[in-house]
Amino acid sequence: MSIALDQVTKRYQGVPVVNDVSLNVRQGEFLVLLGPSGSGKSTLLRAIAGLTEIDHGRVSLHGKDVTHLTARQRQVGFVFQHYALFRHMSIGDNIEFALRVRKVRAAERVARRKELLKLVALEGMDNRLPAQLSGGQQQRVAVARALAHRPEVLLMDEPFGALDAKIREELRRTIRQIQRELKITTILVTHDQEEAFALADRIGVMHQGRLLECGRPDDLYTRPATRFVSTFLGAANLLLGYRTSRGVRFDARSAESPREVVAVLRPEEVELATDAAHIRSNFVGHGVVEELLFGGAVERLRVRMSSDGPVPVAPGNDGNGSLGSLLEVSRTLPEQRQFPVTPGLRLAVGARRIHILPTPISSFTVVAGSEDATRELTDSPLLATLCTRMQTRVGSQVGNGHRAPPGMPVLATGAGSAEAARWQLQNGATQLLCVPPSAPLPKHVIIHTLDPSARRATLAVAASLLRHVAAEAVYLVIHPTESLEAERAMRMRDLLDARSSALNDHGLDMRTEMRPGDVAQELQAELARYDDSMLVLGTADPESIRWDWLANVLEGTPSRPVLIVNSARLEAPVEA
Amino acid sequence: MASSWFRQPSILPGFGLTLGFTTFFLSALVLLPLAALILKTTNLTWSEFLATVLDERAIASYRLSFGAAFVAALINAIFGFIVAWSLVRYEFPGRRIVDALIDLPFALPTAVSGIALATVFSPTGWLGVRLQEQFGVQVAYTWLGVVVALTLIGLPFVVRSVQPALIEAQRDLEEAAETLGAGPFYVFRRIVLPAVLPALVTGFTMAFARGVGEYGSVVFISGNLPFKTEITPLLIVIKLEQFDYNGAAALGFGMLLVSFVMLLTINLAQAWSRRRHVGAGR
Repeated sequence: MSIALDQVTKRYQGVPVVNDVSLNVRQGEFLVLLGPSGSGKSTLLRAIAGLTEIDHGRVSLHGKDVTHLTARQRQVGFVFQHYALFRHMSIGDNIEFALRVRKVRAAERVARRKELLKLVALEGMDNRLPAQLSGGQQQRVAVARALAHRPEVLLMDEPFGALDAKIREELRRTIRQIQRELKITTILVTHDQEEAFALADRIGVMHQGRLLECGRPDDLYTRPATRFVSTFLGAANLLLGYRTSRGVRFDARSAESPREVVAVLRPEEVELATDAAHIRSNFVGHGVVEELLFGGAVERLRVRMSSDGPVPVAPGNDGNGSLGSLLEVSRTLPEQRQFPVTPGLRLAVGARRIHILPTPISSFTVVAGSEDATRELTDSPLLATLCTRMQTRVGSQVGNGHRAPPGMPVLATGAGSAEAARWQLQNGATQLLCVPPSAPLPKHVIIHTLDPSARRATLAVAASLLRHVAAEAVYLVIHPTESLEAERAMRMRDLLDARSSALNDHGLDMRTEMRPGDVAQELQAELARYDDSMLVLGTADPESIRWDWLANVLEGTPSRPVLIVNSARLEAPVEA
Repeated sequence: MASSWFRQPSILPGFGLTLGFTTFFLSALVLLPLAALILKTTNLTWSEFLATVLDERAIASYRLSFGAAFVAALINAIFGFIVAWSLVRYEFPGRRIVDALIDLPFALPTAVSGIALATVFSPTGWLGVRLQEQFGVQVAYTWLGVVVALTLIGLPFVVRSVQPALIEAQRDLEEAAETLGAGPFYVFRRIVLPAVLPALVTGFTMAFARGVGEYGSVVFISGNLPFKTEITPLLIVIKLEQFDYNGAAALGFGMLLVSFVMLLTINLAQAWSRRRHVGAGR
């Protein structure tokens, strides 16, 4: 590995700006860190260069731990957004700076300078001053300067940010070419997805200090794992679908299936036809063209779906919930010619290809005794934060229905909550969240499974949660005090499997711990150790939960948020 | 052509008005009194003038005035820079108070600072005693006292001119140099110093100019011994008290000439170096 980051965390005044990021970059790879401003991507880059100290974690370059080395000792090449050229030095002196510092002989310096100026196509500019060059030329000089001492790693912080579009594209090509030619491991930070697609071997998407996903550009685009990535990389319609025996359906009538999923429907994958019979792909519903924009090669439409049609994952920003969802559609010229549409036209909508997000949390439904209670619970810090960050919707329901609502039911902790939780799990809930209405965001999440078979589902839910909440995760394995050697070995294997599965399948880096003792006592002690702790409890059989103990946790004071995952139901095959 | 060759087009009108004001103020406040001074010296013959100006006592006073002002400005350039650096680069409790304290020598009547310094540094004063005992150094009533007084007076000039330059100096330049392998001292010498040097020179010049003309704070601590601790401004006052107006004017003219030549030289040198580095462009 050329660059290896291990649980890197950086806090400013207690707030993590880079939160538990682990990442490996191969020799010669071009990685682009992509994210909105304030997502921590620049801080992470500076941490790799040694310009910012980190609070936790490890940075390795070429297998050598450099966490405690200064920027000077790390010897990386760094390109700054605003070039950072030395204005009182000529272009030649700027490029030779790193060599002068290293006391390289003059003849060698001159040779290297000529070579670099040729590389960035600025031959003969040696004696100019930076102020006499255009922005694009200055950034080329900055790149040449960063490469002078033949660093093994090149880091670039929004290098095109201050340039206009045309120069940007040209410089982009130059940099890609240089990177290929020198085969230098490169990390580039940007907020521009087009730039990321054009340059990257691999893209890492950052959001709120976390590295949400990392993968090949086409993989991330076609198979994102999170809502954020699916909407940040390109446009996407996020719809709630229901897994049925006939595949994923979107109409509310299929909602009796509790297997709710989040479907990503790209605007270009939407099929439009005059009526349902002419839809050749998966029929989604009917809608009316509300807006139509001609955009040259592609036409952009917004189609208002009828109110019994698909439900958007996040409440729309059009501020009117009673109308159906708005669907973004883009069509190529051949499609437009085949079926011209005008605003106001009623038509049928189909989905050529949908991608189901692997996230097991699709939506929340607050269940409480009164309207006020549901409102209070919806506004609780944990749930409110989860909904904004996951871009998901919260439904509400007063009193129990005849069965658990789809998605994740949310209950308030307190008197009677254990009984209510039990009812939900018995009546179809695959997962369940109990929150104290005033509880702050958890900082420590304790993950425990009652059966090894529940591990996969539990980790998936926990990872999904932890992607959006900045908390430390601990996977706790507890074995009876007088257990046999073989039993302990088995638990240990469970623990190691859990750690690698969490990291590989979900990108979740968690602490693992094994201790002897009584499950209920140990969990309770662990919960009590921190002020802001939360429990994620996985089980394959809700009846095996010791409800008297859980009632203690849910109804005692102070109560903690508890998330229960019922793996048997979550992973069960769809009933026909 | 309506606009002349030296007139840059500007969005705001009023070139005539502002140039008029400039000429008026310079004339009324600077040129006219100075012209009167020069006129006064013409009462003397050449030989009288030279005798006054090149008098042994006068030369000793020049040496002290210019020498002490130079040493004080040099001290200020170094320590003023450090003060400005710590004020700009670090956040520490009481930073605002320290920042405000810097300007005090501006506001204080110079006589007050002079008396205060004399009290502290006199052989019986709080600091004077200790310096005498520990190092055998006497500050008050020696040329050292003059340097101390001028250092106090000149400090704000350096700090206030270097501060904005340091704020403006880009941190990423230092970081760039660091990633390229430069050590802290190298970064300071090759990156930070060139960036603030013009401001530092300006501060030095102003502190020096002020030091040359300073009177109030020095006379209390210098002891005013002819040939030893007598500054030129004091000599001028002495001549005035003896009703030797022509002599005083001659000395004043001499100082004026030397100061003007020195300031002009520094300004020209700075303009030249600025042209070399092209300040324009980001």
